[in-house]
Amino acid sequence: MKRFFARNAPAYVFLLPWLIGFFLLALGPILASLYLSFTRYDMVSAPRWIGWGNYEYMFTRDRRFWKALEVTFTYVALAVPARLIMALGVAMLLDKGLRTIGLYRAIFYLPSLLGASIAIAILWRQLFAADGVVNQVLAMVGIQGASWITDPDTSLYTLVVLAMWQFGSPMLIFLAGLRGIPRDLYEAAEIDGTPGWRQFTRITLPLLAPVIFFNLVLQTIDSFKTFSSAFIISNGTGAPADSLLFYTVYLFNEAFKFFRMGYASALAWFLLVIIAAFTAIAFFTSKYWVHYENERD
Amino acid sequence: MTKLTRRALLGTMGAAAAASALPAMPAFAADRSIRHYWWGNPERDKRTFAVIDTFQKKNASIKVSGETIGWGDYWTKMATQTAGRNMADLVQMDYRFLFEYVNRGALKPLDEFAGKSLMIADFDKGPLDGGRVDGKLYALNIGSNSQVMVHNTRAFQEAGIDTDLINWTWDDFAKVCEKITAKSGGKMKGSDDLSLMIETFESWVRQNGREFYSPEGKVTATAGDVTSWWQMWADLRKAGVVRDKNKTVILDPPIAESGIAVGDTAMSHYWSNQLVGIQAVAKDKIGAAMVPHKAGGQPGQFIKPSMFLSLSRDAKDTEAAIAYMNAWVNDPEITGILGLERGIPCSPKIRAALAPKLTEVEKLSVDYFTAIQSKVGPLPVPAPKGAGEVRDAFMRIGTDVVLGKVEVAKAAGTFIEDAQSIIERAQ
Repeated sequence: MKRFFARNAPAYVFLLPWLIGFFLLALGPILASLYLSFTRYDMVSAPRWIGWGNYEYMFTRDRRFWKALEVTFTYVALAVPARLIMALGVAMLLDKGLRTIGLYRAIFYLPSLLGASIAIAILWRQLFAADGVVNQVLAMVGIQGASWITDPDTSLYTLVVLAMWQFGSPMLIFLAGLRGIPRDLYEAAEIDGTPGWRQFTRITLPLLAPVIFFNLVLQTIDSFKTFSSAFIISNGTGAPADSLLFYTVYLFNEAFKFFRMGYASALAWFLLVIIAAFTAIAFFTSKYWVHYENERD
Repeated sequence: MTKLTRRALLGTMGAAAAASALPAMPAFAADRSIRHYWWGNPERDKRTFAVIDTFQKKNASIKVSGETIGWGDYWTKMATQTAGRNMADLVQMDYRFLFEYVNRGALKPLDEFAGKSLMIADFDKGPLDGGRVDGKLYALNIGSNSQVMVHNTRAFQEAGIDTDLINWTWDDFAKVCEKITAKSGGKMKGSDDLSLMIETFESWVRQNGREFYSPEGKVTATAGDVTSWWQMWADLRKAGVVRDKNKTVILDPPIAESGIAVGDTAMSHYWSNQLVGIQAVAKDKIGAAMVPHKAGGQPGQFIKPSMFLSLSRDAKDTEAAIAYMNAWVNDPEITGILGLERGIPCSPKIRAALAPKLTEVEKLSVDYFTAIQSKVGPLPVPAPKGAGEVRDAFMRIGTDVVLGKVEVAKAAGTFIEDAQSIIERAQ
């Protein structure tokens, strides 16, 4: 016991601010929302216990719930790989050892800082509007662009492009990972005459696997929670025709527009289950493709 | 890592529940202080704070604090405050939410004050009764409005349009749209496309001799009503005389993005108390027309209370609150500041006092109001719970129709089914 404390005390001291916040601010509402998910609650009258009613409605009768899942899963399936490939590509370019790397790193990271902001979502809406910048540029080369944002067939892809553009934080992590790969491996490969792409598949990717895994899990969770960009671009409704009805946007509308707090809580708990499942799958499969350098087989 | 994300995730989700978990905030200690909460815009806020200043000068013992927020967030905050038993003493109320709040016991009736501290005996009976629920007055009318087809008078003149814009029909409307589009060589279309405007669609249903909702709160509009509405606009789109479909599917755009403000259409649909705001952003002089009638049909449009002032269940010093409420509708200085910004006042005395000081566009709204009096139908029963969601469904399904992705009759059937199940679930 004593040794445990001696060893872990610093960790707990560092954790303290988070722990205080968790127990004082988060735990109560979390438990309350679990309770509310089994009630009908409109914020004005008292909550009424309805057992599994919310969950039952969700799975058997709510068409928009399935639509929200479809939109969100499509987005995650497209946005996560797109962003990771983009991030890895840029990280590898930067890793070539530019002299002004600090500057480039900052510039490439900038969209991620801005990306979460309302202003960028509004800017995005302007860029991809029927008479927006994107179409004006396309018109210059003689292409008649679609009305990207207002067409249900294309609106989701504008958000995928936005996600791709916000590759900053995985890029920084990739960059750090790339820096950790011993140079002599590449030198040995050079001497053996191994072509560049094989160096990539045989040295870079395997040694980067733990970092890729970390980024994958983080970005997947992040993408499931996408909210503000979809909320702004769709005017808070998931429009056009529910093509931007992200799970979180639907949840928000149920809670704060239609005052179905009980149902919204049930939706929130199901989202937790989805994310937990995906994270568990990632961890479970990781032993087949992620190898840590200090591991002894 | 899982732990961290769990926390972040749950933190967000828990926010919803926070409202209920936190203890109610203590009310302000000084008994002679009241809170007034309203949804606003910069102009309305400026006027309302000026009213508060004036009232406090005249009633030094009462402190009024004003809280304002946009319409979009107003009801969220209101519901949160109601749940926390922390409602402002006086809240601005809307016709479609009134019954919901009364049914949940969140408002106090005003009848006991009438004739004593609240002088409303000479007010117009119709608009005043709009604030009654089960015979009791729960909401004091602070302005009335009605739908209006705002039009560009210059474009109308240039196209040589002499149609009677109070008594016109949908056929006249289509002809006007054609003329204006032809005159401008297609640069200015006749009108915004109102396919997704459920308020105008409700008038359409009434013109067909039905109400959208029955007094029992059932959907009584038919798939036929919806089909004919969406088909009419589909024909106008095909003729190329209404606004581009990609603009139409942008929901609830700000006034500055409407066709009449941008100048790419000659007509837009609004509420009469918004005329002042529209003129402020429109280049040309605007005029006011009624929603077109159905030839041989029933009156569809109606005059509705645009805003109410209500006394909340949580009000401590009701005497001070009622004094403030009374000043709002009777004090000439205060009503002078308010003008017509919230709608037409229902006190004949106040209207007479305002008349000489009206600006041109304010005069337009008063004249319009006078002109439509005999052309409108009765106030419909208040919409049942879930009506706001039905409005969303109308816009959502209508978007596919406007973009030509689904057959009109099929979409109309889907909408009626959805509307019925939404209303059923909301009860």
